[in-house]
Amino acid sequence: MRIIACVKIVPEEQDIQINADRSLNLERAASKISLYDLNALEAAAEMAAGGHEVVALTVGGERVNNSKVQKDVLSRGADELVLVSDASLENALPETTATVLAAALRKQEYGLVLCGEGSSDLYAQITGILAAEHLNIPVVNVASKVTLDGDAVVVERMLDTELEEVRIPLPAVVCVSSDINTPRIPSMKAILQAGKKPVKKLTLADVEAAPARPGSVLESVQAPKMQDRLRNIIEGDADADVAAFAENLRKVLN
Amino acid sequence: MSMKDNIWVYSDLAGRFGELVGTAAALGGTPKALVTGSAADADAAARSGAARVHALTVDTARLTEDYVPAMAEAIKASGTPALVLVAGTRRGRLMAARLAVRLGATIVSDVNSVAFDGDALVATHGVYGGLAQGTERVSAPCVVLIMAAGSAEAPENAAAGTVEAVSATPEGTMQRVSSRPKQGNTVELGRARRVVSVGRGLKAQADLAMIQSLAKALDAEVGCSRPLAEGEKWIESERYIGITGVKIKADLYLALGISGQIQHMAGVSASRTIVVVNKDKNCPAFQYADYGLVGDIYKVVPALTKLLSA
Repeated sequence: MRIIACVKIVPEEQDIQINADRSLNLERAASKISLYDLNALEAAAEMAAGGHEVVALTVGGERVNNSKVQKDVLSRGADELVLVSDASLENALPETTATVLAAALRKQEYGLVLCGEGSSDLYAQITGILAAEHLNIPVVNVASKVTLDGDAVVVERMLDTELEEVRIPLPAVVCVSSDINTPRIPSMKAILQAGKKPVKKLTLADVEAAPARPGSVLESVQAPKMQDRLRNIIEGDADADVAAFAENLRKVLN
Repeated sequence: MSMKDNIWVYSDLAGRFGELVGTAAALGGTPKALVTGSAADADAAARSGAARVHALTVDTARLTEDYVPAMAEAIKASGTPALVLVAGTRRGRLMAARLAVRLGATIVSDVNSVAFDGDALVATHGVYGGLAQGTERVSAPCVVLIMAAGSAEAPENAAAGTVEAVSATPEGTMQRVSSRPKQGNTVELGRARRVVSVGRGLKAQADLAMIQSLAKALDAEVGCSRPLAEGEKWIESERYIGITGVKIKADLYLALGISGQIQHMAGVSASRTIVVVNKDKNCPAFQYADYGLVGDIYKVVPALTKLLSA
């Protein structure tokens, strides 16, 4: 069976800088696999030990063409990487990404699609679900355990107030939670082999993605205003300083 | 009919209806509610101020998600424009997304504020882990918004609405095998009123004891910056505060030996009072501080514990 793990290539948020006008500067932000997608890749790789094939799938703008990140994806248990790249997908919102993912999946054979909990840029946590509904196949989220069982998969879902166990006939989409596993650190061997694995590049036309007609537009991204703080700073940790500081704390506590 | 006259609210957990009704009220509407829970849940939704509650008659052996098609039919029958507010619980998120596709609706997730601007809706949500807020302008005849917890207040003294039982046919191929209640969360840092937090200034895991003593003296929870949880693994990851961790809105946040990078401070900036102790007087944390002391935490923390326990 083919297991498809969907991944998003995103900017490293730790590298993001805030401009004086509170807009974000992503120029120095390197590309990486979105953190929680590593769980999806890992879950696929662990299941593949049962003799299945793992294909990694990603859609996006320029970042998906980054060969270093492509090799990173392939070093984590995927046999092949399929990507759809288009300038129009730069900063795409979940609806657009989901439409293209669904279109790409229609061209693939698969039994199971695994997605992460949410991407580290938008963290909408709905893209995999939207794609599944477009494909009219069953989907669950917050899966903390996924087990293949013949032509079905048994999933434990960690909901807010209950732990629910569900049996789902394949093909299906399962969005895994971030605590389902600990993603592997790729071995030297896996990293070296990654360079030899196939990367299949597709265009929007190849997957026959319908043109996006988004109902919403991201107008602005702004860091919050820095609240004016008192900045009452005592310089020094002599006993008198600490006592004065304790007094300040007592004021706040009451 | 304008969109504010056709607002629907849905939560799979009854306790969240109040906030959704509050959001609808702020948008100028009195919503209809869809309920897939018990009769008691339907009454709770009615009491929270929903004008009419459509209580779907559900088969509890089925997955709640199997009622998404029925919910979509009820909403479609009300015509357009339509706005559906869904509480962002884990199950709610999945149902909202499926509903949006079935309705051909535009969906925005984890909305923390929303308002009309003419015919369009303007909704904000966190991006990059809360480092910044994204503002989306939504112009579509049918919209689904997943509302973040705490994004609105439940209205006080709302007029209770009426409950109508509605038959609904479930649709779906997934089988619910079992369900058991979850054990309570061991730590709810996001709700803590006071948090004492430690960073790289801590030299050894054993030194956490002095931090815990101070936290106890202050009746505070213990948190940390990312390196201590993900890197050193000295503290469980539920306690790390930052853009990829917990966000806190405490009355008091005390940062000990934390340099104050934006990736951490973005997780605490909603706190009322921020207090910082660090031996580097030029560290960024002091920019965010109401009160601070430049000094060695190994000297200051035990001294503070003694002074504040008295």
